[in-house]
Amino acid sequence: MAAVSRPVQEAPLPPATSPLASTPSDQTVAEPSAQSSAPSPVVLDVRDLKTYFFTYDGVVRALDGVSFKVRRGETLGLVGETGCGKSVTAFSVTRLIPDPPGRVIGGKVLFRGIDLLWGLDAEAKIKIDPKTGRAKVKRSFRRIKSGLERMSAVRGRGISMIFQEPTQAMNPVFSVSNQLSEALLLHHGTTIIDDLLTATPLAPEVRPALEALVEATRGGGGPDAARAASKKVGEAAHLRTFGTQSFYLVRDSDLSSEDLLRRLQKGLRRLHLSAFEKAYVRHRRRQMLVEDQLHELYLSEMREGRVDRRQRGLLRARRIRLKASGFFYGIWGIRGRIQRPLRDETFWRSVQLLEEVSIANPVQVARGYPHELSGGMLQRVMITMALSVDPTILIADEPTTALDVTIQAQILELMRGLKTRIGTAILLITHDLAVIAEVADRVCVMYAGQIVETARAVDLYQHPLHPYTQGLLASIPNLERPDKRLTSIPGSVPDLIHPPPGCRFHPRCPYAMPVCKEVRPPTTVEGSEHTVACHLYKGAVSVE
Amino acid sequence: MINDQSPILISSYNLRKYFPIRGGLLSTRIGDVRAVDGVTLEVRESETLGLVGESGCGKTTVGRLLLRLIEPTSGHTYYHPSPDVLARLDSLYSTLQGSAVPEGNGGTAAAQAALKELDEIADQYSLYRLKRSKMKELRGKLQIVFQDPFSSLSPRMLVRDIIGEPLAIHHAGTRSQRYQRVAELVQEVGLNPEHLWRFPHEFSGGQRQRIGIARALALRPEFIVLDEPTSALDVSVQAQILNILKKLQSEQRLAYMFISHHLSVVRAMSHHVAVMYLGQIVERAATEDLFSRPLHPYTQALLSAIPVPDPTLKRERIVLKGDVPSPAAPPPGCRFHTRCPAVMPICSHAEPPLIEVRKAHWVACHLYPPSGSEPTSSPRLTPPIAGAGALDADAPRAA
Repeated sequence: MAAVSRPVQEAPLPPATSPLASTPSDQTVAEPSAQSSAPSPVVLDVRDLKTYFFTYDGVVRALDGVSFKVRRGETLGLVGETGCGKSVTAFSVTRLIPDPPGRVIGGKVLFRGIDLLWGLDAEAKIKIDPKTGRAKVKRSFRRIKSGLERMSAVRGRGISMIFQEPTQAMNPVFSVSNQLSEALLLHHGTTIIDDLLTATPLAPEVRPALEALVEATRGGGGPDAARAASKKVGEAAHLRTFGTQSFYLVRDSDLSSEDLLRRLQKGLRRLHLSAFEKAYVRHRRRQMLVEDQLHELYLSEMREGRVDRRQRGLLRARRIRLKASGFFYGIWGIRGRIQRPLRDETFWRSVQLLEEVSIANPVQVARGYPHELSGGMLQRVMITMALSVDPTILIADEPTTALDVTIQAQILELMRGLKTRIGTAILLITHDLAVIAEVADRVCVMYAGQIVETARAVDLYQHPLHPYTQGLLASIPNLERPDKRLTSIPGSVPDLIHPPPGCRFHPRCPYAMPVCKEVRPPTTVEGSEHTVACHLYKGAVSVE
Repeated sequence: MINDQSPILISSYNLRKYFPIRGGLLSTRIGDVRAVDGVTLEVRESETLGLVGESGCGKTTVGRLLLRLIEPTSGHTYYHPSPDVLARLDSLYSTLQGSAVPEGNGGTAAAQAALKELDEIADQYSLYRLKRSKMKELRGKLQIVFQDPFSSLSPRMLVRDIIGEPLAIHHAGTRSQRYQRVAELVQEVGLNPEHLWRFPHEFSGGQRQRIGIARALALRPEFIVLDEPTSALDVSVQAQILNILKKLQSEQRLAYMFISHHLSVVRAMSHHVAVMYLGQIVERAATEDLFSRPLHPYTQALLSAIPVPDPTLKRERIVLKGDVPSPAAPPPGCRFHTRCPAVMPICSHAEPPLIEVRKAHWVACHLYPPSGSEPTSSPRLTPPIAGAGALDADAPRAA
C-alpha cells in the first residue's frame, strides 16, 4: 500500500477542465484572411488534405486536395454523393482511416493550432510506380502505434464522432450504461471520483430532504415538485446523482412511505465509502491523472512538432508502476466489490445524460442492451455518448440516414438544441441536401474527392454557382412544386482510380469547355464566404 | 368508391397478413406480428398509387400481397374487376360495416348472407383463389421492382439472361425474338445493348436498378409494384430513375404502386397516396388533396417532418414523441393514439373506421366523425373468415 500512495503526489493537478480547453486560443486566428466578417475563431482548419487508398487495382484518390474551416459554435455541412469522400474526410481528420489500405498522404489538419497529422509521414514510406500506377507502401508499425496513442488525446474531448449506423456503432455485449460510463470515466474520471469523495451521504440534513421528496411525489405535487425535491436531496448529500437515483426509486416503487425511506437510507449507506473503497478510487484517480498528463504531453508534441522523450518516458514509467501497484484491486472477487461505488455513480450519471436527450424512461434504457433499443433511441444514446465529454468539435457522419422521417425530425431538433446550449462546432456529413438546409450554417459541396463549392447555406441554396451544385439542387423532388419535371445529372460518379483529368465533373457538366478537360479549376472567391472551383468563374484565387 | 376516373385495375378488400411468432417448447404460435391489418385500397389503370409510411408499417407486405407473392391471412384482391362485381362488393362490404357483426360468429341474417355471397364472389374472382396455371398467366401482368438493386440481381447471370428470364419462363417467342425484345428493353431504360454481355457487379446502383426495371417490363405488364426503387440511390441518379419510370408509364399505360418512405418522391410520382401506420391505412386521397390539406394527425406530422432544401423557409414543425409501437402488440383503439398530439379519450379504446370525409378523401381518425348516423360501437369491416376474430380479442392483453 505504501507504494500506492507515494509516487504521484508531486505531479501538479491539471485544471478541472480538459487540457484542450486550456490551450492558448488558436494560433490560426493570427491569419488575416477571411476572418474579418466572422468573429468566432477557427477550431478546425483542413488544408489540401489528400487521402489515397492503395488497392490491388491501383491507387484510389479518395481525397485530392480538400480544404475547409470550421469555426467555433458553427455547423458546417459536408454534402455530396456516395463515394465522393465525405466520410473519408471525417475519418482522415480523426486519423481513423483503415491502414492498410488507406493513408493520408498530404495536407494539414490543424485543430486549434495542433497539427493532427504530425508524425504521419514518418509512419510509412510510399513509392508509386509511374508506369503501372501501383504503389509500394512500407509501414513502421512502432510509429503507427505511437501515433494512435497520440490521437487518443484529441479524440473524445477534442473531436467526438457520431456514426451512421447506430446499431453497428454500439457494442452488443455491454449495456448502454456500461458504454456511456466508459466514455465518462475516460474523460471526466477525476471529477467523478472527486464528487464521490466529497459526498456526505450520512449527513443529518439528508433525511428531512428525503422525507420531503417522498411527500412531494406521493402528495401529488406533480413531476416538477418531485424534481425540485430530488434536487434538494442531491444537494444535501453533496452528490447530484443521488437525487436522480432517489427520484426514480420513489417514482417507480409502490412501497409504503416508511419502507421507501428505509430503502433510500440503505442506498445512502451504500454510498458511504469504506476505507478500502476510498483507497481504490484514489488509486484510480492517480492513474487518470497520469493519463491526463500524458495526453497533455502528446498535445504539446503535436503543437510543437517534436517529442520530449524524457518526459514521455517518465510518465510512461509512472503509468506502469501504478498499474503494477494496483494489482491487488484487480483480483477477481475483490474487484467487483470495491468498484461498486464508482459503477453506481457512473450509472446514474449516464441516466442523467439520457434524461438530457429527452429519453422518456432513462433507467430502463441505461440498463438495456443495444439490441433492445430502436434505431432512433440508439442514435440518441450515440449523441449522448459523443456529447458527454463536451467536445470542441462533433463530427456527425450521416446521423439520420438510417432513421425514419419522424425520428429524423426528433434527432435534428435535438442536435439544434444541443448546439445552442453547448456551443459545440458540428461537422455534419450527409448526402441529403434538405437535412443540411435544416441545420447547417455553411455548406461545402464535395464531388469526387474535391470540394467544388463552399458558401453560407442561404447563399448556396439561392445562388448555387457550380454546375454540380445546381444539378444536385434541381434533382431533389420539391415538395412545394411537384409537377416540375426532375432534372437529373447524366452519368454517374467517376471511378477514382482513373479520375477524369482537369475538372473531375467535366464529363457530366452541361457547360464543359475545352479548358475543363485539361486544367483543374482553382478555387476562386465569388462573394463573401462563397468560393467555387469552376472555370466558369473568374474571381480572385482563394488563399486557402 | 367508384369515381368517374380511369377504370379500376386492382381492388383489395380487408387485406390482413399476420406473421406468426413462434416460441416456447414446441415452437408453437405464441403471437402474431400484424404486418398488415385490414387494408382496403384500389389501383386505377395507368395511374400511380403511392404508399407511404415509416419502416415496419407493412408497406412492403401490402405490395407483396397484391402480387400474391405471399398468401394473405384474410381478405381478397380482385384484378380487373368488372363494374357490376365491384358495385356488388362495395354494397356487401358496406352492409357488413353497417351491421357491425360480432367477429366470426352469428350477427344478423343479412350479414350472414352477405358473408356467404362475398365468399362466392371470392371463389370466382379473387386473386388468392386462382388456380396455379391461371396465376402463372397473370404473373406476367403483375410485376415488381425491388428496393435493393445489389441483392435483387443474380450475380452469376449475364444481364441478357436476367432480363430474358421472364420471357423464357413464359415461352414468349423464339430465342432470337426474345433476344431482340431484351435489346429493345435495355434501350428503353437507357442502357446500351453492349451492356447485355456484362454481369451485374460491373454496374453502378442506378444502372442495376435500370436492369431491374427492364426485367419487370419484359412481359409487358399492366401493374408494377415499385418497392422503394430509389432509396438505395443518390439524388442525382434517383432523378434519372424517376424520370424513366414516368416516361414508361405514359408510353405503356402502366399502373404503379410506388412504395416509399420518402414523401417528396411520392408526391412527384403518384396520382393517389395512401398513408400507412402500423399495418393500417390511416389516410387515402388524391396526391394534391393529401399534401395540401392533410387530415390525419399522423399525416400532418409526417409532412411537417420532411426537411425542405431551403434554409430560408422555417416551418411550424410537429415533432412526434416516441417510437412506432411494435406490430406484435399494437396499442388498442386507434393505433396512433400513443403518439398523437390530438389524442382524445375515445382513441384508446375504439378503432376509428376509414371513412370518406371529403370527396375521395378517406381518413381513419376520431377527429372526423362520419356525417350520417353511426353506431357507437366501433364500426369496422369484418374479416370474411372466422378465426381472425379470436386474434383480435388478444389485442388489449398484448398491449
